[in-house]
Amino acid sequence: MSKTITTVAAISAVAMALTVSAPALAQDGPGELKIGNFLDVTSWDPALADIGFDGPYLSAVYDPLIALEPDGSLTPVLATSWEYSDDRTSITMDLRQGVTFHDGAVFDAEAAVANLEHLKAGARSNEAYVNVWEFKVVDEDTIQIDLTQRDDTILYLMGLGRSYMASPDKLDTLTEAPAGSGPYLLDTDRSVPGSEYHFNKVADHWDSETYPFEDIAIYPILDATARHNAMLSGQINVNFADAENIPQAEQMGWNISSRVSGWVGLQFVDHTGQFVEALADVRVRQALNYAFNGGAILNAIGAGAGVVTNQVFPVGTPGYDASLNDMYAYNLDKARELLAEAGYADGFAVTMPMSPIFAQWQPAVVQVFNELGIEVTWDDMQMMDYQINAPKYPLFISFIAMDNDPAATLARQLTSEQWYNLNPEYGEFPELADLVASAKEATGEDQVAAITEVNRQLTEMAWWSVWYQAENTYFSTPEIEVQPVTGMMFPLLRHIQPK
Amino acid sequence: MIAFIAKRLAAGVVLLVAVSVGTFFLAHTAITDPTVGLLGTTATEAQREALTIKLGLDRPLIVQFWDWFSHAAIGDFGTSWRNFQSVNDQIAIKLPVTLSVVSFATLLTAFFGITLGMIAGLNPNSMLDRMSKGITVVLFALPGFWVSLVLVIWFAVNLRWFPAVGYVQPTQSITGWLRSITLPAVSLSLMGIVVVAEQLRNEVIAVNKQDFVRTLRSRGLSQGQVIIHILRNACPAALTMLAIMFVSLLSGAIVVEAIFSLPGIGQLINSSSQIGDIPVLLGITVVSVIFVVIVNFLLDIALGWINPKVRVK
Repeated sequence: MSKTITTVAAISAVAMALTVSAPALAQDGPGELKIGNFLDVTSWDPALADIGFDGPYLSAVYDPLIALEPDGSLTPVLATSWEYSDDRTSITMDLRQGVTFHDGAVFDAEAAVANLEHLKAGARSNEAYVNVWEFKVVDEDTIQIDLTQRDDTILYLMGLGRSYMASPDKLDTLTEAPAGSGPYLLDTDRSVPGSEYHFNKVADHWDSETYPFEDIAIYPILDATARHNAMLSGQINVNFADAENIPQAEQMGWNISSRVSGWVGLQFVDHTGQFVEALADVRVRQALNYAFNGGAILNAIGAGAGVVTNQVFPVGTPGYDASLNDMYAYNLDKARELLAEAGYADGFAVTMPMSPIFAQWQPAVVQVFNELGIEVTWDDMQMMDYQINAPKYPLFISFIAMDNDPAATLARQLTSEQWYNLNPEYGEFPELADLVASAKEATGEDQVAAITEVNRQLTEMAWWSVWYQAENTYFSTPEIEVQPVTGMMFPLLRHIQPK
Repeated sequence: MIAFIAKRLAAGVVLLVAVSVGTFFLAHTAITDPTVGLLGTTATEAQREALTIKLGLDRPLIVQFWDWFSHAAIGDFGTSWRNFQSVNDQIAIKLPVTLSVVSFATLLTAFFGITLGMIAGLNPNSMLDRMSKGITVVLFALPGFWVSLVLVIWFAVNLRWFPAVGYVQPTQSITGWLRSITLPAVSLSLMGIVVVAEQLRNEVIAVNKQDFVRTLRSRGLSQGQVIIHILRNACPAALTMLAIMFVSLLSGAIVVEAIFSLPGIGQLINSSSQIGDIPVLLGITVVSVIFVVIVNFLLDIALGWINPKVRVK
């Protein structure tokens, strides 16, 4: 009996010890920003890092030349101003003076050019600099970017996260540890790679006011429920959220911010009918626009977190035209009618790729295609293979990220080679090609108007079957406000501010 | 006994080599072009080709295998394709997290499983037995992930006794470490408790009916002394179950690590498989097999020590 009592007492003592120290888990002061991110940092080397979820990590330790704001405008950071040449094939940038990297190296034109050359050679960052001929030092605080041709996307992409500056002496070792001039320093003693990253504020950072939080912690938490529980328990105060939890977030009094991030639908690859003749007929593509009930799919799969539209230009941004949204209102009979007109009343056969990530939309496609008599054969593959092989099929289910810049949208959705658009076909359609050429030649408001016209033409041609634009949602505690940015899966630290 | 140990060791080495070879070729067959996952979709053909050469993927597969195997045989699992850091170092960082949780879960399984099993087995069909059976049936019926979530909501979100996510290293804080692994370990152990308790209950009932137990009682031994004899005869089955549970908990930890966001081996498997980081996946596989071999080896030794007839077999 005495042994039993001893055992019970020991267990009770352990339980007491555990519970007595529980207050240590209470929330830290408002000075600490604790972010629950979806993914771990892909690399501390900005040349190898992914833009997607790396924003908070990289913007903590690095300063960019230019930063993108939520409204799509560009903010000077280490580049204080920039100017295009008259023929727009050269950009001259003035650089901020008096900035030093954390290792003591000085930021100047030499450092900027070394960084830009490093970024141009980077496997991921190179997308911003494909049209760069040369980076030149003009003087100590001025550089020049010479282009092989006019490029209206370069500044946008630099602002999106492709212009982070690192200490020029450490460019070869950035994968091991970051070496920037950013507002925070990575605290390696408190950080556990893959689990939590802690950052300490740099006291004399030149832009300290933009970064008011004293300490920052970023937790990569893959599981949405785990992130939500971490938020509920006070371990984090900003969360990349699941829209399913919005009602509870409202009950908790949290701030909820959302912005469209990508479009969901069918990417038509074969507009010329090279592999599936039917897809060359605009009536068939239009039928596939009428046939999908985007609103129903959004509610069933996307928890209603998005906007129903048939365009790839982000809702509410330049280039987007709200009046086009009714062009293909859900109408299955109209779809059948169009197919019959095109000579495919009994449907046709098609093979499509499938990956687990896209499986959630597969039943919708199967159901609609059955209704239309379209016989679909699925080739199953992993996501990595999907990114290689999907654009080799005549059409595929897609979730494509969008950009808050009309020129970038035009380039990345239509005219430039991307993993989802290996063979841009717009040149095969003279009327469309002419409109694109006009848009590329225009500038300013004229360019926005021309791109809007391209958008109208693309919608009429049913270039894609867009079901809806999905939103990214972020929860933050009442004292913190998050401003999402289309183009970034997670915004930069400058977009997370005390309320 | 030495021959017995030697045989078990040899079998373990054969298993290790067979699994390593199989995993190597399966991984290279399943992941057709790792450079896509590693460099992303924006990389140029030249950049992919350069990485292919840098990683040695342009060599014949058998040459790649021998290169990896000859290094792995001396304990060098190479470098990660993702960040070019040592695979050994990465596993060394992550393994203690998983082992902490799994070991704690095994301890909980042993303590509660044996306690419930003994109580039920020594008092068959009694109220205690029925209560014990009721508890085990309920635990068996509950899905592990659901139990995990309920534990988080009760003890982390509402009561805030434990963290909902994350891991504290024991070098930072012992109580913090215990708190960070308690809920994951409890989640992991529930199924094991049921299995061990049921197994032990049936064994205890069977042993309790044997003649030697009646003889022991007739010789006037106390109930405690008789229980020790019963336990010694019934425990091989429970020990085997515990060993199996330890191994299965290692794999089960992947789900629990995701739910509690623990930076363990499961998380490393997840992130490495997403981008096709084959050296890391191979390193984890080999280390896991080594653990399976060691656990089975220790189990065999323990069973052989308890029951000499096992050594003869």
